[in-house]
Formats: sequence, C-alpha cells, structure tokens
Amino acid sequence: MSELFAAALFVFVLVTAVTTALLRDVLAVVVVFAAYSLGMALFYAFLLAPDVAMTEAAIGAGVTTLLLLLTLTKTNRTRPDRWIEGVDLPALAVFAALLIVLVVTLLNSIPAVGDPGAAWNNPGVTQYYIENAYDDTGVENAVTAVLAGYRGFDTFGEAVVVFAAGISSLIVLRQVVFTRE
Amino acid sequence: MIPGLSGDFVTQVFLLVAAGFMLLAVAMFYRAIVGPTTQDRVLAVNVLGTNTVIVLALLAVGLGEQSLVDIALVYALLNFLMAVAISKFTVERGDVL
Repeated sequence: MSELFAAALFVFVLVTAVTTALLRDVLAVVVVFAAYSLGMALFYAFLLAPDVAMTEAAIGAGVTTLLLLLTLTKTNRTRPDRWIEGVDLPALAVFAALLIVLVVTLLNSIPAVGDPGAAWNNPGVTQYYIENAYDDTGVENAVTAVLAGYRGFDTFGEAVVVFAAGISSLIVLRQVVFTRE
Repeated sequence: MIPGLSGDFVTQVFLLVAAGFMLLAVAMFYRAIVGPTTQDRVLAVNVLGTNTVIVLALLAVGLGEQSLVDIALVYALLNFLMAVAISKFTVERGDVL
C-alpha cells in the first residue's frame, strides 16, 4: 500500500512542479507553488523526516507565499499574453536525456533505504567522535562539537546564507511594510 | 525494512485510504491548473491543504509515527495564511500583511 501512496504522491508533485514552471500568470504561479510545497512536505513526512516536513510546512505554507507576494507588490505583474509558457521541445529532449543518463548512472551509488551497510551505520566513525570529541575540540556536547568544531566551516557557510536571507527579507519588508505612512 | 510494508491489515487500510486521498489531490489540482481566476486557484490550493492535513493524520497511524500529527497541526494552523494574504493582495493592491 505504501508503494501506491508513493506513486500517487509522485504524480502529484510532478504535476504541481510542471505547472509551476509552465504557468504564465505570476500570481497563479505563487498559488500553485504552495501546492507543490504541500506535496514536498508530504514526501518528507512519508520518508520519516518529521523535522524537515515541519520546516517545509511552516516555510512553504506561510512564509514563502508572503515573501513572493511582497515581491510582487514591488514589481509589475504583467497581464499574461497566453495561458502557459511555450516549450522548446528539442532543448527539453536534450535536457531530459542528460538527466536520465545522470540519474541512471548515479542511482546505484545511493544506499538503499535502511541498508545496514550504509555509511551512517559505520560504528567506527561514531565511536571516534564519542571518544575524541572532547580532546579535539574541548566542547562537552558531542553534537555541538561536530557542528561547530569538525564541520565548523560548513556551519559557518550555513550561517552566512541564513544571515544574507534575513537581510534581504528585511530590505523587502522595510520598503513594503515599515515605511508606510 | 521500509515502514508500512509489513504492517497488519488495519495499517494497510490506513495507507490505502491515504493513497486514495492523494489521487483525489491530483484531481483537485485540475482547478488550480485551469483557473481561470486567481480566486479559483487559491480555493483549490486551500482544499489541497485540508487534504494534506487528512493525509498526514492517516500517515501518522499508517506509519506509526506520532510526530506527523504535529505537522498536520502546523498545516491546519497555517493553511489559511495564503488565502488571507492573496485576498488582501487582490482587494487592496500592495497590502499583504
């Protein structure tokens, strides 16, 4: 039964994604994109990643739509000349062929769901962090040690991205909301 | 082991109903594609949001993962936000919040 559910979910996400890409009316795209986000949240929930699904629910259903609408108020929404975007079929065929080759060649290197031999289940790595985290970084919490010590540059990059996103949101919001008379 | 594949009969029924609701979602999305007005699309996506809450609740039982109910609650709380925002956007142009 879970295969049937996954298949229906696949169809839904595919249809919403294609519609988001093809519709001409910008406001309609904002609405349809919210439906796509619903499908992705269900996907994360189905793959048993409730934290990611929760984030997608909060961001996709609420914040993204608001931000896109705020952007629309600052730009022009031109009356669409036609219903859907024209598709360049030869380019589409080339891209699809490329994508299929990539997916088929790379699919085998992804470990199966719940594969006990996958990298996450390597006890040596876990044991190393548990034994050496304090001596290496001086941080008592092992999770914090990995986040801010072993992969500190990675976390730093994430912080930069979040900071930049926050600043740009504030710029948009300040012009639309806070400078109102 | 993939969760849900080896459950008992009731679990399978829950997953089957969830799959049925998912197929319904595809049918509901027809209105969001053809429109013709933005209001039609907003209503369609709103119904899809309610549908998502139902599917999440069914999955919570079918997969035995109680935390999915929390996500369903978040969706139920936030689902109306887009409708309100777009309604304000179309009525008084330039006012979203």
